[in-house]
Amino acid sequence: MYPGPTSPVNRLHKSVSSVRSSGSRQWTQHGQNTEGETESFCQLKARLCGATMKKVLEVILLLLLLVVTHAKGTRYSPPGKPALTRCRSPEKETFTCWWEPGSDGGLPTTYALYYRKESSDTVFECPDYRTAGENSCFFNKNDTSIWVNYNITVVATNALGRTFSDPVDIDVVYIVKPNPPEQVAVTVMEDKGWPFIRVSWEPPHKADTRSGWITLIYEIRVKLEEENDWEMHLAGQQKMFNIFSLRSGGKYLVQVRCKPDHGYWSEWSPSSYVKVPDYFHREKSVWILITVFCAFIFLILTWLLHMNSRSLKHFLLPPVPGPKIKGFDKQLLKNGKSEEVFSALVATDFPPKSSNYEDLLVEYLEVYIPEEQELMLEKSMDLDVGCLKCEGSASDSDSGRGSCDSHTLLMHKCDGVKEEEERQAKEARRHQKDWKEEASTYAHVDVSPDMSSGRVKTWPSVFSPLPRYTSNQQGSLEMAKQHYLSDSLFPTSSTSSYHTQPGHGTTEAHGPGYWECGLSNKQPHLLHPQAQAQRQLQARSDDNISSIGRKQTPAGLHSPARRSTEYVEVERVNEEDMVLLQPVSGRCGDVEGYPEMPYGEDYSKVKGVDMDNMLLLQREVREETENCDTSSTVTTTQKPAACIHSAMPVEGEMVLGVNGYVDTATVCTPPTY
Amino acid sequence: MRMMRAIKQGQWAILLWPYLLTTSIPLDCRDEQGGLSRCPSISQEKLLDRVIQHAELIYRVSEESCSLFEEMFIPFPLQLQRNQAGYPCITKALPIPSSKSEIQQISDKWLLHSVLMLVQSWIEPLVYLQTTLNRYDGVPDMLLNKTKWVSDKLMSLEQGVVVLIKKMLDEGLMTTTYSEQGLFQDDGQPEMLEYVMRDYTLLSCFKKDAHKMEILLKLLKCRQNDIHSCA
Repeated sequence: MYPGPTSPVNRLHKSVSSVRSSGSRQWTQHGQNTEGETESFCQLKARLCGATMKKVLEVILLLLLLVVTHAKGTRYSPPGKPALTRCRSPEKETFTCWWEPGSDGGLPTTYALYYRKESSDTVFECPDYRTAGENSCFFNKNDTSIWVNYNITVVATNALGRTFSDPVDIDVVYIVKPNPPEQVAVTVMEDKGWPFIRVSWEPPHKADTRSGWITLIYEIRVKLEEENDWEMHLAGQQKMFNIFSLRSGGKYLVQVRCKPDHGYWSEWSPSSYVKVPDYFHREKSVWILITVFCAFIFLILTWLLHMNSRSLKHFLLPPVPGPKIKGFDKQLLKNGKSEEVFSALVATDFPPKSSNYEDLLVEYLEVYIPEEQELMLEKSMDLDVGCLKCEGSASDSDSGRGSCDSHTLLMHKCDGVKEEEERQAKEARRHQKDWKEEASTYAHVDVSPDMSSGRVKTWPSVFSPLPRYTSNQQGSLEMAKQHYLSDSLFPTSSTSSYHTQPGHGTTEAHGPGYWECGLSNKQPHLLHPQAQAQRQLQARSDDNISSIGRKQTPAGLHSPARRSTEYVEVERVNEEDMVLLQPVSGRCGDVEGYPEMPYGEDYSKVKGVDMDNMLLLQREVREETENCDTSSTVTTTQKPAACIHSAMPVEGEMVLGVNGYVDTATVCTPPTY
Repeated sequence: MRMMRAIKQGQWAILLWPYLLTTSIPLDCRDEQGGLSRCPSISQEKLLDRVIQHAELIYRVSEESCSLFEEMFIPFPLQLQRNQAGYPCITKALPIPSSKSEIQQISDKWLLHSVLMLVQSWIEPLVYLQTTLNRYDGVPDMLLNKTKWVSDKLMSLEQGVVVLIKKMLDEGLMTTTYSEQGLFQDDGQPEMLEYVMRDYTLLSCFKKDAHKMEILLKLLKCRQNDIHSCA
């Protein structure tokens, strides 16, 4: 088998055996020399003892040697088991196997690789231990067979023994690991302003791809120099690859590796560096321009909007019409204090207080009452005046209705304001007297001043230019503090110069004596207290009127059907705030047709207002017996609406009188409640 | 039992022998003669590419099947000793050289014929392998599917190679006739290590031969012209 190294023990054994054999030979020789043996017996004995002693000595030495070697025995041992780590073929034509040696046992160990091919039992040893380096075996082309299983074993041998590794079966075609690709070239190219990297390479020169012996597929990885993450790209069998989406001005590392269609990946090729030049993308500049342009336009639009913000606001959000109420303070409303707001409304003109109320009214009209009527007046004054109670405090809240709804013209059953009645009656009488004295051809409506306020109270609708009071009337104004507009009926045969005109006969059916409502404040209204008003009053308080009016009025006056009205028309208001009334020269019986127009300055004086809210007009005594009592009565209601006549609802017929004024009877349509 | 089945198959093969020939004739489009064409014609390069793709796929799947089988049924110590069981590959006898230089000296004709030989010699064993694999305990379906797939693909590869031979070499050849019956016998218990090793050897050998087919075809392809050079 394998010649083993000679050991000193063997030599010792030999020597011992030689001693033994020599000892035996000596023994036989001693047996032949018996004649002179007695004296050699002791010599023999001594030799024997010496031989034994030698033997013992050798044994002892041997033992000693063994002990010594055993004590130093950790350094020397058979080699450890080697192991084949891998076998690789770079091009499927040659291959190399590497092994890992085990422990060497402290002694120089040699390694040998033996292989056997699959079909034969011949053991071959590795032909080349050097080419591939330490602990390797290189098989060249002649020794390489593909599609053949190799059974490879590595043996480690040292002085003490040999150790076999585990066998490994390999087939060359399955262990192919090519070399990395070669000639890796990286260039920066441009595609419509966008740069990209073109990587090209060659297969490892050993791998025979040209004949198709090996088919390689490639893989590329790229990364920026300062980053850690690689970007992998599989390139297939091509030898060129483009990388896009590069960072401007970046420095890139590129590596390539390859693999056969079934095998192992090669190592990465050495890094190739490439720097991408700085580029300013053209599209970006266009976008920047567009952005700047849009920002500019946006600024302009904002400026325009700001300039026209108000009109735009009006266009988009039309302003809500606010309340245009006199005395209504929007600011207070906004502040949220409703009490103040309404108090403000209430405080000023709405509803007008008695003091202001007075302003709305003609304080009184000086009415001239003829003597014979005076008595009747006085009689009826109580009632009349009482009826002329000023309820202005509660009633009239609308200045527009002042003409109609003055408290002096209230149509209501008066109860118990006796004092005022009397006062009013007195003043009426006084005024009558005054009027007598004056004998003025015009009736000016006195407005009794409110001493406190010093204002002339008129109906603003009627006497719109009359809020001011004239000096003429001062005196008379002072005298009368009545709060009524003596819009009284003209007693029948009063000599008042007031002539009332029937506005038109057709309006008989309508309420008589309506003051023209304050529908148009701009023009002086023509008052034409109408006899019909008187009739109204009469109708209401027949008792009161009858005494007065029966005489004066024709029988027709009782019945509203055939009433003859005589109106006083207020022709105009002169600049002295005097209502110039015109008597309607007419026959009281005239119910049809147009009344005669008084021409010239032919006015009627209003003598007074009786208790039936009849305007007593002064007129010349006429031969007519019939008294066209003209009265204009206006009944006031509580509501500050249009003129309300309780007795005679007026159809809403606008009848224009001959004089060109509107018959108040028609104008003051009662609101339908 | 299996003997009976094998006999039955043989009987069918014998009875239907002419039909086998007719059905397995490749789709030879007779468009050159102006007659009815059963399929559109294909260029030689494309056909060769397709054949190579077939071979590549077959190799890949067979490799997967082999490793699956190895994991499941082969005890670890024996995994490295593939040929220790003593079952040689069935195609051992085929005269295919084993060194690159020799292989590259083979002519085109011999390359094609070698491939055809390989293909034809593996059709039947794969069919047999399917049946044996079914008898294993706990065999995964994937393994069975793969072997089935490989078996089918091999037959179409055979057809392709025959057409290729006809195109390139102008030779008419017959396809497999299921003549080889006696190589395998269903006997013994499948779970014994011996048989496991036998099947394992079968799979390994097939894997190797699939690789051979692929390489040979690729060599053939890269020889054709410089336009489609493989460099």
